[in-house]
Amino acid sequence: MLSAILSLALLLMLAPLLPGVAARTRSLLTGRRGPPVHQLYIDLWKLMRRGVVYSETTTPIFRLAPIVVAATVVIAATLVPLDRTSSVLRFSGDAVAFAYLLGLGRFLLVLGALDTGSSFEGMGASREVTFASIVELGLFFAIATLAVATQELSLSGMLGAPLGRHWAQAAPSLVMVALGLFSLLLAECARVPVDDPSTHLELTMIHEVMVLDHGGPDLALLLFAGAAKLAVFSALVVALIVPAPARSLPVALAILVAGTVGVAIAVGVVESATARLRLPTVPLYLAGAAALAGFGLVLVVR
Amino acid sequence: MTAFLAGMALLLVAAASCAAFRRRSFGDGVFTACVIAGAAVASVPAVQVLLGATLPQLRWRAGVPGGDWVLGIDPLSAIFLLAILVVGAASAAFGAAYQARERGHRAVWLSHAAFALVLAAMALVVTARSVLLFLGAWELMALGSYVLIVTEHEHPTVRRAGLIYLVTTHAGTLALLAMFAIWTSGSRDWTFAALAANGPRLALGGGVVLALALVGFGAKAGLVPLHFWLPAAHASAPSHVSALMSGVVIKMGIYGILRVVALLGPPPAWWGWVVLAIGVASAVLGVLWALVQHDVKRLLAYHSVENIGIILIGVGVGALGAASGHPIIAVIGYGAAALHSLNHALFKGALFLAAGAIYRATGTRDLEQLGGLARRMPLTWLGFLVAAVAIIGVPPLNGFVSEWLVFQGLLRAGQSAEALRLVVFAAPALALVGGLALACFAKVAGIVFLGHPRSSQAAEAREAGAGLLAPVLVLAFACVVIGTVPALVMRPVMVVGATVAGEHWVPIAAALSDVFADAGRISWLAIGLLLVGAILWLARRAALRRQVVRTGPTWACGYPHPTPRMQYTASSFAAPLASVFGRLAGVREHRGATVFHSTPVDLVLDAAVLPLWARVERAALRLRPMQQGRLHVYLIYVVVTVVLVLGYLVLAPTR
Repeated sequence: MLSAILSLALLLMLAPLLPGVAARTRSLLTGRRGPPVHQLYIDLWKLMRRGVVYSETTTPIFRLAPIVVAATVVIAATLVPLDRTSSVLRFSGDAVAFAYLLGLGRFLLVLGALDTGSSFEGMGASREVTFASIVELGLFFAIATLAVATQELSLSGMLGAPLGRHWAQAAPSLVMVALGLFSLLLAECARVPVDDPSTHLELTMIHEVMVLDHGGPDLALLLFAGAAKLAVFSALVVALIVPAPARSLPVALAILVAGTVGVAIAVGVVESATARLRLPTVPLYLAGAAALAGFGLVLVVR
Repeated sequence: MTAFLAGMALLLVAAASCAAFRRRSFGDGVFTACVIAGAAVASVPAVQVLLGATLPQLRWRAGVPGGDWVLGIDPLSAIFLLAILVVGAASAAFGAAYQARERGHRAVWLSHAAFALVLAAMALVVTARSVLLFLGAWELMALGSYVLIVTEHEHPTVRRAGLIYLVTTHAGTLALLAMFAIWTSGSRDWTFAALAANGPRLALGGGVVLALALVGFGAKAGLVPLHFWLPAAHASAPSHVSALMSGVVIKMGIYGILRVVALLGPPPAWWGWVVLAIGVASAVLGVLWALVQHDVKRLLAYHSVENIGIILIGVGVGALGAASGHPIIAVIGYGAAALHSLNHALFKGALFLAAGAIYRATGTRDLEQLGGLARRMPLTWLGFLVAAVAIIGVPPLNGFVSEWLVFQGLLRAGQSAEALRLVVFAAPALALVGGLALACFAKVAGIVFLGHPRSSQAAEAREAGAGLLAPVLVLAFACVVIGTVPALVMRPVMVVGATVAGEHWVPIAAALSDVFADAGRISWLAIGLLLVGAILWLARRAALRRQVVRTGPTWACGYPHPTPRMQYTASSFAAPLASVFGRLAGVREHRGATVFHSTPVDLVLDAAVLPLWARVERAALRLRPMQQGRLHVYLIYVVVTVVLVLGYLVLAPTR
């Protein structure tokens, strides 16, 4: 329990680093220097000391949304076995809770966007819910594959210590699930090829356009939640592809840090190697990612 | 059982009081008080049974064929009875306030009386333990519902919806008659106990009975493709009637299916697969079709199709678990179906009542005419928001608890060895449904309550009165209680599952102890969210204490004169998802340089049922020459018929 809490705290503190790592990788690979790795910490610090301008159209739900978004990501993180053995909170079917908690955050984020009455934010909200529903499909293919392959019902059981044994038995489907999860991570955390965190044209944004009207501490919470979501999904992927059991807490924490940074670097590599997809083709990409995880399920159920 | 009968008597008193005080304004108060008192009294035995008590059955020696008339409450009856009474009482209270202003120009008392009678009829449906009593109550419920649906019969669309409902419900009843006829054949005792004893002797392992049950009860429940009557009927009725119909009346179909399974014993595996497939189809198509609607109440009605699908997924998992000898999976599946029935009754009731409050305040159900109601109707918004979060199945509300239970059944089935493990493929489908439901309710909540008003009616809306608000908030509160403390309901729900599966409770309870413990841990999600949320709220407040907080116009990317017309509309919000699903979404789009609008069509009603009906009508026209309107022609028909029957009796081989 204590080690689970420690690793959760470490992950949340580390989270703002990951977008910076991804951006830095992208910059270096495309021949630029780019912002410093710790840019998001600076931004968060700056935003926490700024005032806010609220739109006259908005209602209390606009102020509530950033808090719920951040809280759901944190609670979802308590379900993931970050220290490679257990999580802060564990129960059978907690994978469902993990996905649906992020759903609650998304619902509030979308309502916050619609609360402004801006057509741009409506556009982002519409795209977000469209793509998220297909992401959900793929995520549950992955969860079902893991549940069947490991005969476990909780995330800690599926991704905990004995995963190495299952890699020996069901390697092909676990590879597919890992690839599928990584592809879904790119969509869920608003990265290229689905969304571009550095785009400047509102018409093409998805996540960024939904937070156009947020400022100050509200925006800081949303940026932190986005980074934490990337960290949690990275930790999931790491827990899946590094099945080695951790003998001690320092080793587990080292794997967590190195692994999530590694995933962030991979995100940066993908972002510099591919262009953004046209919006009508994004569902195809997501369906492909879901199908990948789905084939994993077919292989274990066979 | 005395309390149950007393409750029923109070409901009848409520109906009679409507007729007695039809012109008095205090009649509404008497009606509401009687219904609430009746529901409270009658729910006492239901709660007792769910907490583990067993009540003796009531038996009358009826003077008609078919043996005794029996009434009983077992856990399966009790959970549905509770849903009927809670949602029924809330809707009745809402209805009295809702229709009060129509007193002048409508026979409101008739509507209220029918409402109380339908409540009593449904209570009878779930407690009846003999065929004639059951069918009588069933028909009373169906006909009473018709009276309620056509309350506003001055509109042609309402009459048409009522007619389609009436035809469909009787087609369903016909299937039920056939089912009971096959089941009771050769027996003089038509009590459910006799049916259970007769079960093993049925051909095909009761396959015909189960198939007919799926058609007859399925037409009431509104599963795809028998849902076509449902959206129009639920949208045309007054809102408190819609809440009752969508929340409870369609659940009588689910109750019927579960009761048949409980009486017959483990169903054959093919039936389980059929139910599961229909469940997945209903859930996915229901939510997809809901997404493209613009009428709030039609949209909510399609969500009922979706939720019936989720419930049927639970039933299918339970049936397959029972068929392949996994009692735990069977109990979880059936229990999940029962719990989702209760949960859906609560949140769908709240949603329809909130939609009624919106209609009263604005005079429109068209999403494209609404907007910005959160500022004008904050408490309605609160109730609607809670129910919306519940229906999309996210923590920490009750929709999550029952969907979590369905997923438990699906994943556990996936971990088993036999063909049963293929069930796991329904899990991603259910997740897709969750995602689409989220999209749909983001659309409704966002377009109706947030942003700028899109019409003058929406701009001038006023908060609903206490009589309309209280029922909405009570139902929403029930959603919160079940969602945050699921341990309260988990044990009773599993008792219901064990009743349907026909398992002994003691070994099942031991095997399910980890499910009970895990349900308790769901509460930690709510506590954690509250705790982290409070910390973040305080942090934000501390950060903003020394800063300037101003208000200004919404950022329109530099454009200086945004108007409400520039907001995203319901059509445009749903357009990307509709285009992902192509023709399946059932939507016609009108695109122009300045306009984008979409019109939903029901693929089953408009594309299949109505053309088929037109063909039947054309064929029937050929028979018209037989109807001459002359007495001697009819006399000839009578004579010919009698001669043919006599001839048959003479020539038929004697038994």
